[in-house]
Amino acid sequence: MRSTLVSYVLFAAMLIALAAVFLWVPTEKEMGIIQRIFYFHVPSAMSAFLAFFLVFIGSIQYLRTREEKWDRLALSAAELGVMFGLIVLITGPLWAKPVWGVYWRWEPRLTSMLITFTIYVAYLMVRDYGAQASQAPRLGAVMGILAFANVPLVYYAVDLWSADQQLHPPRNVGLEPTMEYAKWICYATFFLLLFHLVAQRMELARIESAVVRLRQKLDDA
Amino acid sequence: MDKDGEIVLTDAAKRFGAYTALHPTNLVISRGQAVLLVGANGAGKSTLLRLVAGLSRPSDGKVQINGHDLQDAPEARSAIGLLSHQTLLYDELTARENLRFFAQLYGLHNVQERLDEALAEARLDDRQHHRVSSFSRGMKQRLALARATLHRPSILLLDEPFTGLDTGSATALRQFLHLFRGNGGTCILVTHRLDEADGLVDRLLVLERGHLRLDQALSSDLDQLYAHCAPYLDSAL
Amino acid sequence: MSFIGRALAILRKDLQAEWRTKERLSPMVFFTLLVLLVFNFSFELGGAALREIGPGVLWSSYVFASLLGLGRSFADEHENDALDALLLAPGDHGAIYLGKMVGNLVFLLAIELLSLPFFALFFNLSLGFFLVPLLAVFVLGSACLASVGTLFAAMSNNMRLRELLLPLLLLPMILPALISCVAATKIVLANGHFTELLPHMQMLGVYAVVFTVLSLMLFEYAIEE
Repeated sequence: MRSTLVSYVLFAAMLIALAAVFLWVPTEKEMGIIQRIFYFHVPSAMSAFLAFFLVFIGSIQYLRTREEKWDRLALSAAELGVMFGLIVLITGPLWAKPVWGVYWRWEPRLTSMLITFTIYVAYLMVRDYGAQASQAPRLGAVMGILAFANVPLVYYAVDLWSADQQLHPPRNVGLEPTMEYAKWICYATFFLLLFHLVAQRMELARIESAVVRLRQKLDDA
Repeated sequence: MDKDGEIVLTDAAKRFGAYTALHPTNLVISRGQAVLLVGANGAGKSTLLRLVAGLSRPSDGKVQINGHDLQDAPEARSAIGLLSHQTLLYDELTARENLRFFAQLYGLHNVQERLDEALAEARLDDRQHHRVSSFSRGMKQRLALARATLHRPSILLLDEPFTGLDTGSATALRQFLHLFRGNGGTCILVTHRLDEADGLVDRLLVLERGHLRLDQALSSDLDQLYAHCAPYLDSAL
Repeated sequence: MSFIGRALAILRKDLQAEWRTKERLSPMVFFTLLVLLVFNFSFELGGAALREIGPGVLWSSYVFASLLGLGRSFADEHENDALDALLLAPGDHGAIYLGKMVGNLVFLLAIELLSLPFFALFFNLSLGFFLVPLLAVFVLGSACLASVGTLFAAMSNNMRLRELLLPLLLLPMILPALISCVAATKIVLANGHFTELLPHMQMLGVYAVVFTVLSLMLFEYAIEE
């Protein structure tokens, strides 16, 4: 019931965000229409990092309490973090082609996102293929903590490596007020989408494990 | 034996994912008892043994050794010795090096004398500078026993210790166990072959599919053992 | 016995066993040489490109060799279930991690130093001048590899497909350290100034410390059952 309500709110928020991005915001002078991808690219990146932070929280809490719900949070957030990371890695080159002339440059922030993305893909793969069901939550928690600790180091190392390659605008660039408002609307919409999807995925994971447990009980009987 | 040697399980359970290896179990094994633990394959014998050893963490409930929770009091682990069908030794080190390493881990004093003594008891003093990889199965197991008891534990856990032993080494092990019990040590013996336990134990625990089905004092009589265990064991036995 | 004392006992035991068999060291050094050969034929390293890609080649071979070496670092413990005996010993299990980690660090350094002369020989590099700063880069870089590497080796030992999963776990995690290792080595070989080198060395130092401390804290969870 509550999740249906959230779905409606989310739908409305998305319509508002789309209207803001395509109807309301002025076209950027230098880059033209393509700059509007900014409103998807940057909030996706923020959502990805928020998701990775949730993995971190879920992992710590799982090791402390051993409650499965925390592991479900970590797993669900990791999957969605990877998905939002993928959106960043797709919208980035789409934006780069007309502006930088090529789809991909080993430019620091794109590179850092790619490395972070691979770390969490590895997290999901190891959970899926390597760990037995009984160890996956525990080993996943260890990985989830280490992975998040690595994120700032990835950014620092990549910045050192290719400071001269920096093509992104500096991190606190001033935006025109309408652009600023539209950005915040998009942030809010993306974060709401992230939380909604994480909640849905967690519920699915809960049902999955309940089914496994029922099946085990049937086998035992 | 200066330690208590008491094992207490309070609603201790172990699950691996959705699979329950040991259902909540209550059990008190007091100082000096010798317990025979039997059950079919997958009944939870090793799980129970590893819980008591602190090698496995209970999913629910508590396992206490001498009044300590092993997860909270890692020092309490020094009360335990474990002998299994695996040697728990390093093949590339010599007999003496193996024992010295574990003596260091346990922080023993007078290490040299203790090693001499342990190697003599294991009848390995003449081979002490040979690598374990050159040893026979019986010699390895004697060394494994020396390793397991180097720190003079008050609780000895034995997981199929007779597997693959020649008659001589098996007899030596039995003699040691008698001696250990005579000194007030507590032990849990897991074995498939009941004849090996004859005369060594005074209490029988039977596990079936992770449930403790039977808990009974024994007068160490082999026929009595068979009668109790038969319904719970693999037909092959 | 103190925490450090137990870690040292484990370190000494590992070095003793390795010294006796050299079953990790010899194949790994040879493997590093083979990787150098492969890179040579893939990139025509002899020419002017060497200064540009030489450090990358060197570190790539070290990383591949260390993946194999780290994967074996718990092999002795599993052969006869000796890990159970280690875990049964009293005291914090972090000591096991620390002993193993320092052992791996020594082992990686040995591989690097033993294969370095061949690198210099094959690629006509006179190293004498660079040796001290290069050694510093090796120590820090190996510490980075050993820090997460030892923890992941312990974790992957209980996994299915572990030969496949260790690289999958380790490679993305180690990338930031690898980036700095290559950059620092490049600066050293180009006879660059100390102030250029410093930020990379700091990066490696921070990485090694962060992941050694985290691994010490998490080791218990990584190996429990």
